[in-house]
Amino acid sequence: MQVHLERRLETRTGHRALVTVLSIVAALLLGAIFLSLTGASPLVVYTEMFRAAFLSFYGITDSLAVAIPLILTGLAAAVAFRMQLYNIGAEGQLYVGAIFGSWAALALAPGLPKPLAILLVIAFGALGGALWVLPPALARAWLGTSEIITTLLLNFVALYLMRYLIFGSASFLRDSTTTNFPQGKPFPEEAFLPVLGLTRVHLGLAVALLAAVLLWVLLGRTRFGYDVRVVGDSPGAARYAGISVRRTIVVVMLISGALAGLAGAGEVAGTSHALDPSGLAVNFGYTGIIVAALARSNPLGVVVVAVLLGGLQNAGSALQSIPGGGGVPVEVSFMLQGAILLCALAGELFVRYRLRLRRGLPDELTEGARP
Amino acid sequence: MPDSPPAVAPAIEARGVSKAFPGVVANAGVDLRVKKGEVHAILGENGAGKSTLASILAGLYRPDEGEVRVNGEPAHFGSPRDALARGVGMVYQHFRLVERFTVAENVVLGDPHQPLLLSTRRAEKTVAELGEKYGLPVNPRARVEDLSVGEEQRVEIVKMLYRGADVLILDEPTAVLTPQEAENLFETVNAMAAEGKSVIFISHKLSEVLAVSQHVTVMRDGHVVARAETASSDRRSLARAMVGRDVDLSVQRAEEAPGEPLLVLEGLNVAGEGDTVPLRDVSLEVRAGEVVGVAGVSGNGQRSLAEVAAGMRTPTSGRVVVRGVDTTGKGPTAARRAGLAYVPEDRLGTGLAPSLSISENLLLTHPRPFFLKRKQMEATAREAIKQFEIRAPGPDAATRGLSGGNAQKALLARELSDGPEVIVVASPTRGLDVGATQAVREILDRRRRAGCAILLISEDLDEVRSLSDRILVLYEGRIVHETSGEEANVEDLGLAMAGSSEH
Repeated sequence: MQVHLERRLETRTGHRALVTVLSIVAALLLGAIFLSLTGASPLVVYTEMFRAAFLSFYGITDSLAVAIPLILTGLAAAVAFRMQLYNIGAEGQLYVGAIFGSWAALALAPGLPKPLAILLVIAFGALGGALWVLPPALARAWLGTSEIITTLLLNFVALYLMRYLIFGSASFLRDSTTTNFPQGKPFPEEAFLPVLGLTRVHLGLAVALLAAVLLWVLLGRTRFGYDVRVVGDSPGAARYAGISVRRTIVVVMLISGALAGLAGAGEVAGTSHALDPSGLAVNFGYTGIIVAALARSNPLGVVVVAVLLGGLQNAGSALQSIPGGGGVPVEVSFMLQGAILLCALAGELFVRYRLRLRRGLPDELTEGARP
Repeated sequence: MPDSPPAVAPAIEARGVSKAFPGVVANAGVDLRVKKGEVHAILGENGAGKSTLASILAGLYRPDEGEVRVNGEPAHFGSPRDALARGVGMVYQHFRLVERFTVAENVVLGDPHQPLLLSTRRAEKTVAELGEKYGLPVNPRARVEDLSVGEEQRVEIVKMLYRGADVLILDEPTAVLTPQEAENLFETVNAMAAEGKSVIFISHKLSEVLAVSQHVTVMRDGHVVARAETASSDRRSLARAMVGRDVDLSVQRAEEAPGEPLLVLEGLNVAGEGDTVPLRDVSLEVRAGEVVGVAGVSGNGQRSLAEVAAGMRTPTSGRVVVRGVDTTGKGPTAARRAGLAYVPEDRLGTGLAPSLSISENLLLTHPRPFFLKRKQMEATAREAIKQFEIRAPGPDAATRGLSGGNAQKALLARELSDGPEVIVVASPTRGLDVGATQAVREILDRRRRAGCAILLISEDLDEVRSLSDRILVLYEGRIVHETSGEEANVEDLGLAMAGSSEH
């Protein structure tokens, strides 16, 4: 009996979703091996994780709170993926969005009516993210420089810029009243995003959901989304059709950066209420890439995947307190994230090909994939 | 006694070979006999089952029914390597070479007789010898990535000969070659046959089959529909067998005198961009109801000419005037607005976006509203599929899945849909089979009759001659020869295309 790969004639949305689900299952199985090796019971750990993330009210709301930046960074990656652009810099754009948002909160918001203050913080966050991606976008559009390298490297520049502002300088954003560990200046109340009851879910969730729906319409139903697909698929056809490839690249990158910047502004105005370099540097940007890959760049899929991964991250911290579990390390949830991404990438094969078993009977209808 | 083997067994033979793929019967009871030292052509349109048969003979596919015999002995190939062990080798349409390896390294790649420590010295010597013997000049130490397409094909052939192939299957070998390279290939094929090797030559081009083969087997819809000695068969009967009906590829010319000039190019100079050739002082005009053909060997400025006329490129000097409107360098959209349609040579990748659906592609060069109207797009696509007889699963099918002919029809459907008066077409039937070629030429001819001005840029001299009312020859970016379609003389055109300064 031989196993053969056969190219699928078309890929269906149902298949894609199924492959994503199976990737997650495969990743859990893979994770179970490592959990067993560390002496924990995979079943207990997984049950506990699920319970912690999704079965209690505060579990759910905490998962949603983590999902907010992930939705936005996921959208940032997805919109660029749609055009075969790889913005790996959502991490840095998020930091710069947070810096700009913090500046707006501290310098502009005091005394303003709350809605206006919040609007300014959000707008500055988006602006910061967009500005940070502008140089890579222009370099890509006019010089053909790989945006993967430039956006990635700028992440480190943004990280150290943010640290410098709080830890290394007496900047406007640093809290000058404390002599203890340096930290960001607390925001005025006007700039706080409203939260849902006593939970950690803030207004950012509405912004993120709105962004997802708008992006879904923009990419799927409008001329702009059409142009994006043509440029991504074949720049030659775009040139022939009179679509400006350069302009489309720049616009898509700016949207991508603005979304990541929004995530940063949302975190500082919704959660930390100050620019907190350590609290922000938790890989929301990089995780967004995983979110977009698992969601196959579908904006609505991004929301679902972000909530799942948000739950996973949220559950990670609950693991250490499993009764009798002997302290399962929090890193388990990150390991699972990585495993899910690996399985999803491997699963890509099954979206495009299907497996065929064939026996050695000569008269059976057989079909070999071309090598 | 039909079952008794003939005195000398054929070098390779297919007996009642059938092969089905989901939804398609690619081969149905195919018989083929190829003698030693013979060039045997398999003629058929795209999708007739030629490549499937070849893949079965070469061990890539296994037949559902029937058997393959080599020198009279049944052969059950599990892989191309098994087939090669029995002396059957195939050169595919898409070459299978490692770009970064040298010619000799590619030749020994996968050779089961190589010692553990690779030695290419022997291979280099053999490659040179084989090249000498069969007219396949290749430098064994050259890297494949530095070779031309024609040279890569020679490497593939040498690779098969090196492995001891006695039966060589060439799948559409001339599709990637220039006329001169094709001529060289024919000589090689004859040299191989003279050495006692058998060559199976797969093609959909009648003239090639007539030029190179001794025997021809014609396939249609998976069946063998005719077998003949090439010497005793004529073009028309072979074409009829291949297509299943009479085909008319005869000359079509305007019956009425041409009208106003609708496309005027004046003193165009265009700088070379990337790998395109610059244009130098090109002037021409195309009148209503007239086809002006631009002939020339590939790479003499055809693409620059087409793109500058279509507004995709800005000339350094000169003017492009479409129906009285100066569109010089104003971009493709302005040229379209003035009434020009451009059908580029590169269908998938320029004319069509391969991953997008037919209905989306039909929108590519038309004004698009901010919110797309999906329903309307789909209806337009259904209409085009019907009107232009595009064979496709439906409006949502990605254009990359279409055959060359159907992709071309989709492209024409879009470009001709809003009644352009000026049409620029580049190599419109390149790679198409006879049926599709005829359909495309008819579409263009109808437009001429309707009063369109058509600029036909093509490397296929037959095509230019069969459609054009006037013929220009482009050589190194200049127009070096002009003649009317009726007076055109192949020899003069050929000399002009080769850059002879007699003209």
